[in-house]
Parts: sequence; structure tokens; C-alpha cells
Amino acid sequence: MEKGKISSLQMAFLMYPTIVATAVLGVPSITAKYAKTDLWLSPILASLIGFATVYIAYKLHKLYPKQTVIQFSEQIIGRVPGKILSFLFLFFYIPITGQILRSYGEFIVDSFLVKTPISVIMASMVLLCAFIVRGGIEVLGRAAQLFVPVFILPLLLLIILLGADLEFKNIFPILGNGIMPPIKGSIIPGGWFSEFFLMIFLLPFLTDMKKGMKYGMMTVFAVMMTLVVVNLIVLFVLGSTTSTKIYPMMNVSRYISLADFFEHLESAIMAVWIVGAFVKISVFYYAAALGTAQWLNLSDYRPVVWPIGILIVEFSFWSYPSSMDVSRYDIVAFPFHGVLMQTIIPLLLLVIALIGKRNRQRKGSNSS
Amino acid sequence: MIRNVGKLLRKTKEKKSLIQNDYQDSKPADELDVSFSQNVETLRSVYDNCSDVMFRSFLLFGKTRAMLIYIAGLSDIEAIEQYVLSPLMQEASKEPQPLNEFIEHKMPVPKVVKVNMLADCIESISSGNPILLYEGESDGFSLGLSKWEKRAIEEPVAEGGVRGSREGFIESLEVNTSQLRRIIKSPALKIQSMKIGTLTRTNVSIAYIDGLVDKSLIEEITTRLERIKIDGILESEYIEEMIEDNPFSPFPQIMSTERPDVACSSLLEGRAVILVEGTPFTLIAPISFFSLIQSQEDYAQRFMAGTFIRWLRYFFMGLSLLLPSLYVAILTFHHEAVPTALLLSVAASRESVPFPAIVEALAMEITFEALREAGVRLPKQVGSAVSIVGALVIGQASVQAGLVSAPMVIVVAITGIASFMMPRYIAGITFRMLRFPMMLLAGTLGLLGIMMGIIAIVIHLCSLRSFGVPYLAPLAPLKGKELKDVLWRAPWWMMDTRPSFTGDSNVYRQAPEQGPNPKRGSETE
Repeated sequence: MEKGKISSLQMAFLMYPTIVATAVLGVPSITAKYAKTDLWLSPILASLIGFATVYIAYKLHKLYPKQTVIQFSEQIIGRVPGKILSFLFLFFYIPITGQILRSYGEFIVDSFLVKTPISVIMASMVLLCAFIVRGGIEVLGRAAQLFVPVFILPLLLLIILLGADLEFKNIFPILGNGIMPPIKGSIIPGGWFSEFFLMIFLLPFLTDMKKGMKYGMMTVFAVMMTLVVVNLIVLFVLGSTTSTKIYPMMNVSRYISLADFFEHLESAIMAVWIVGAFVKISVFYYAAALGTAQWLNLSDYRPVVWPIGILIVEFSFWSYPSSMDVSRYDIVAFPFHGVLMQTIIPLLLLVIALIGKRNRQRKGSNSS
Repeated sequence: MIRNVGKLLRKTKEKKSLIQNDYQDSKPADELDVSFSQNVETLRSVYDNCSDVMFRSFLLFGKTRAMLIYIAGLSDIEAIEQYVLSPLMQEASKEPQPLNEFIEHKMPVPKVVKVNMLADCIESISSGNPILLYEGESDGFSLGLSKWEKRAIEEPVAEGGVRGSREGFIESLEVNTSQLRRIIKSPALKIQSMKIGTLTRTNVSIAYIDGLVDKSLIEEITTRLERIKIDGILESEYIEEMIEDNPFSPFPQIMSTERPDVACSSLLEGRAVILVEGTPFTLIAPISFFSLIQSQEDYAQRFMAGTFIRWLRYFFMGLSLLLPSLYVAILTFHHEAVPTALLLSVAASRESVPFPAIVEALAMEITFEALREAGVRLPKQVGSAVSIVGALVIGQASVQAGLVSAPMVIVVAITGIASFMMPRYIAGITFRMLRFPMMLLAGTLGLLGIMMGIIAIVIHLCSLRSFGVPYLAPLAPLKGKELKDVLWRAPWWMMDTRPSFTGDSNVYRQAPEQGPNPKRGSETE
């Protein structure tokens, strides 16, 4: 199926933009809506879901080291229920890839290429992603290694260049309304953190499987820190108006002015962000293609790459009539849908698998 | 439909068998005859209508009929006269016994080989070694007296440098291998030879250092070379295209160099060098992308200077790919990213220009490429004409006429300079080619299009391999330790290890911790 191997560092490089790419745009304003000035606490709370998901994924992986969730769910709950559950996973990942693609397209059309049809932007992205998915996991890992620094460095640069505009007093009052607002604010980012379950599609291809857990946890931490820093920056610059913006990071980048020459860098930020979005969509796409091929018991996943690409573009139109619906899904449905599919169901799988294993062992010891 | 496909298949099969027959015909597999006159007759018929092939018949020691066959201009006539003909044409009384013993062991000729196949005879004659046949002997003797005109060793033209060796490879394979041997004196330097090309019978050598190179790499190269069935090899590029991993890539996966020092540094890193007769350009495999943008001079100057130059080169490599497309994208889609003052001055100079930025950029870039190509091809006497046309007509007059804006001319000029900063010409041309699709993308989708183009190039680079070595190693897959030769040019005392993908069988190239240290000096005193 997939003959390539990646290192756990490459897995970390793949997972980081998979979470951060879209979170960095939407999370600040979403968390600000609920947590107000405590928005920086929300990612920390939300990351608990991330840590839990990585733990569950790794434990499942240790029980079935060479298999993805599509394959081992059959072994855990039986053939027919397993197939149904795997189908649910696919029916989760393919539309969610479409949703990510749609929000990417909406962002580009909203902010930059106003007159370009959104289908062109989405189709060109899917085309690129299809190329890299067909290239296999090795190509994916290597490309991520090149792209992630390109993604992180401008973020750091942004922070340095914004130095003059930071109003540190915006952070007060801390926990003025108690702990509840940050908790409420953490529910939605929790959906993003549950996406760490995608690791289950990468773990079987690690050269150094033992480090998988360590690097997974480190990635969660890195994502959490990034989101905390981004939320703080947005808060320091925009203050209480954060929640009214759709993409606060873009508003913030407009504040940059260096020597009256480097101004209006938002198009550069957009260019860099595309790289992150590309890695994110590619990882989801890869999981969807690999999962589909495994669900259909194919010998290679490459034949399904193009059909799934078309399906992804279709889903991005079918599921959401307008850009309002896209963001509504992000806020209302995804935190629950995502966590259910990627954290709670895997947790149940793990529990069933562990119980089954214990029963089998007990039986084994009884019979002997 | 099916019948058509069948016909098509049959046709290609016929074609294949035709070619194979063709090749077999040109390779006579007969042995030499016992009869002297029969052999001479065969060779005469083989070399029918070849006026440059000399058949010198004479009497061995006054009585035995003999024939010396050589090609004029390929063999050392003086040596033939002095060391072959004069001892063999002595009086009959001095005839030594046995005769073949004398020829093989007592004639003052550097190399005498007994040949008994007709094909070997022809091979020997064609490569300049005279063949001696005489009556009563069924074998011929190939005398190693080849000598032909060759160029002197000169400075490499395509890869200049300020500091470092000034010797370049030449067209003669023997001189080239001797240059390698002169630098690497160890017997571990192995040079394997083979002949490729049914008509040209071109000598091709694979050089490598035993103990450094991965044995399977040499096997792989040899099998790929042996697979080549072609009438002639005139340049190493023929071989390059026939053995590279991905033939449909704009990026070269095998590097060519005309510098012996570059070839030797690759040998020391555990790579293999393929030398081809008739061209000063030798091939190096496997390479990574970064081999193409490293020049030997990075290592021949202080490491800080080397690092600085290397970064300058990275920056301009980016410019040579992206500058025109960035200009087009920003002028067409992202005005707001330009500071107002700059935007005003650019807009003012573009006021009278009737074309959109993308058309202007494409026209100018194509013109520049044409000028460059004309400059390479044209005879030296008319060189000044092209530079006048280039500088005055295209540069100045077109701006004055309002057809092209001055900033565009600057952009094209910088891009042109940038593309010549690549130390390997072949890599420079790759980026120049990729510039055009990038400009089209920039003209249609702006910065988004440029990012798409970059992502596509990176995907392609990530999936490329050169003889199994990932093309972007050591950056992707990341090998932190080896970035010493990519992110900067580490000082020589830090270059402890060989690149892991090629020199893995012998990792350390020098003793560790040799950094100059004043303290250590005082200890030994």
C-alpha cells in the first residue's frame, strides 16, 4: 500500500501545520467571543483534548502497530461493524477535507482575489495536493520539512515587527469573570486539537515508532504555544475588538509599518499561509485516500487519489451553501463532530480493544 | 480496434528486431584464419574504401611475409618506424626463435597484446593500435602505439574561478583519468572502462574510490550503462539522459563538470564519476540539489567568505526564478503591498506603456533569452554588434519609445545576472526555463499563483531521486549534521563527516576536533 517511511520528526512537521494552519486564522476571534480578554487561556485548556487524542492514538497504534484505524477497527469490533465504523471515519474525513478546502477558498476570495471564482482557487489547490498525495508519504514528509520553517519564521517575524504596537495592558483583567469563559472558549479550539487523531494514519509508517508518542506530545505543545502566542498578539494589538474580526491575524498584520517602507504585508502573510493550508489539506487528503483504499482492500491507494480529489471539491460545495455556513459549521458543529469522531470513538475503540485483549489473555491462561 | 492495437504492437516489435539485427551485423564474431593471406584479405574487405587505413606489407627478417595495419594519424609513426619496423626488418641471420616470443617479449613497445578475434583486430586498429600479422601465425599482435593529436590542458571555460586549480578536463579520456590519478594517488581510486556505441565505440570510464562508495551504486551505474544500445555517444549528455532517474524533470539529476578538482571532491564524498571520451564534461552521480549550487571556490576561500557567497547565491537563485513574476503579481494584483512613493514612481514610468505587466515581462524576458543565446552562438567578430543592439536598441530605445517601462528593464537585467550566478550552467538554465510558467501563474493568480508554482516545484524536488539519493538531502529528509555544507560552508576542520547518503560506508573523513587552538599549540611546545 504505502512503502515509504518517515521519521517521527517529519510526522511532527506534518501535524503542526495540520492544526495550526487554519487555527491561526479563526481561533483568535472565536475564542475572544467567549473568553474576552482571557482568550489566551483557551488554547491551553483545549490542548488537553490534543494530549488525550495523541495518547489514545498512540495506544491504539501500539496494539495494532502496522495498521490504521480503518484496518484495526474491523479487528476490534468485528467485520461488519468495523466496516461501518470505518465508513463513518471516511465520511468524516472526506467532507472535512472539503470543509477545510472551502474555508481556504473563502479566505482567499474574501481577502485577495475578489473576482476569481472560488472553484478555480479550490481546484488548483486540490490539484497540487493530489500530486503530493500520489507522491506518497515520503514526499509529503520531506515537503513538510521544507514548508514548516517557511510557515513559522514569518510568524516570528510578525511578532518582532509588531513590537511597537503591542499594548500589554490589554491582557487585564485576568479571569475577571471566573474560569467559565475560557473553558467555553476552549470548546471550539478543542475540535482543532482533536485533529491530532490523523496521526493514526502516519504512525504505521514511522521508522522510529517509539518516538511517535514523544514527538506527538511535543507537537501538541508546540501548537498550543503557537495559539497562545497568536492569541496574545492579537489581544495586545486589537484589544477588545478582536471578536468582531473574522481573520484577526490579517488585521494585525496591517499594523506592521517599518521605516514607512515595509507596510501592508498581508499579501505576504497570505502567501505564507497558503503553504500551511497546503500541508493541512494534503495530510487530510492523504488520510482520506489511504483510508478509502484500505476500506476497499485495494493494493494501492494511488488509483483513488483523483476520484477523492473530485469528491473533496464536490463536498466543499455540497455541504455549505455559503461562507456563513462554513464558519457556522466551524463553530457550532465541528467541535462536537470532530471530538466525537476523533477522540471519543477512538477512546471507545481503545477501551473495547483493551477489554478484548484482557479477555483473550484470561482465556489463554485458563486454557493453559 | 483490437486488431489495430495488435498491428501497432507488431510494428514496434518489427522495429525492435530490425535495430537488433543492425547492431549484430556490425560486430563480426569470426576468429582469425590460419592463413595469412586470408586474414589480410578479410581485413582489406572490412576496410574497403577507407583511404586512411594503411596496409604496410614487409618481410619479417627478410623472408616471412608480414603486414602492419594502422590508421594514419592515430598511431605513432615514428615509434612504428623505430621500434617495430627497424628491428623486424633486420637480416635473416639475426632472426630470433621463436618469432612470436620475440614480438611479445623483446620488442621495445609499451604494450603488445595477442588477438585472435577479427572483431578485436578491428577494435585495436580503430583505436590507433597497429596490428601486426605474419605468415605462419594464426594470431595477430596489437601494438600499443596509439597517438593522436589532442588539445593541451586548459583552463575550464564554463566553470571559472579566482582561486583553485586552473586545470580542466580535455577530450582525451586517458588525459582525464590521469588528471584524477594525479590528484588521488591512492590505488583505492578505481577506474572501470567499457565501450558504448555500436559505431563510435566510445570509451566510457567509471571512477570511484573503493571503500568509500556504496558497491551497489557502482553496480547500478554499470547496469544502467550496459543497457544503453545506441549508435554513437558524442557527448556525456547522451549518457546522462539515458541513465537518469526521472527523465521528465527540468532538474538535472546528474551533474556535469569539466574540473578535475570538482570530480575528485565528489569522489572523496563517495560519489562516482563517469568519464566519457570526446568531451571534457564528466558526469557525477549521485548528486543532490545543493551540489548544483555549490562551487569549488566556496571551499577555496575563507569559510566566512564562502558562506557569504553561498547565501548570496541562494538569494539570487530565488530572484532568478521569482523576480519577474513577483513584479508582475504585485503590479497586477497587490498594489497595496508597495510603499506609496515607490508605487507612484513605478506607475509614472508605466504610464505610457500600452501593455499589461505580464505581456511586458514575457516579451522582455524572451528577448533577453534570445540575446543570451545569440551571444553564445555568434562568431566573435560580430559580438560587439549584438551587445550594441542589446544595450541600446532593446534597453534604451524601447524605454524611450514608451514600449517598455524602465523598471521592467531593471527587473530583467537583475534576473539575467541572477541566473548566471549559478555555478553550474545547466542549473541556471533550469531556473530560467521555470521562470516563464511562474510568470504566467503570477499574471493569472498573483501571489497565490506564485505560491502554487513554488509548491509544485517543491513537490517535484521532494519526489526526485538521483540514483536513490533524495534530491533535497540533507534538507529534506533533514540531516541536521550535514547542514554544515548547505546552510553555511563550515570551516574545513569541522567537515568531519561525509554526506550520509553517499559516504555512509566510511563516515569520517578526518580526525575530529582539529580546530586551530592556540592552547593546544603551547602544550606541544
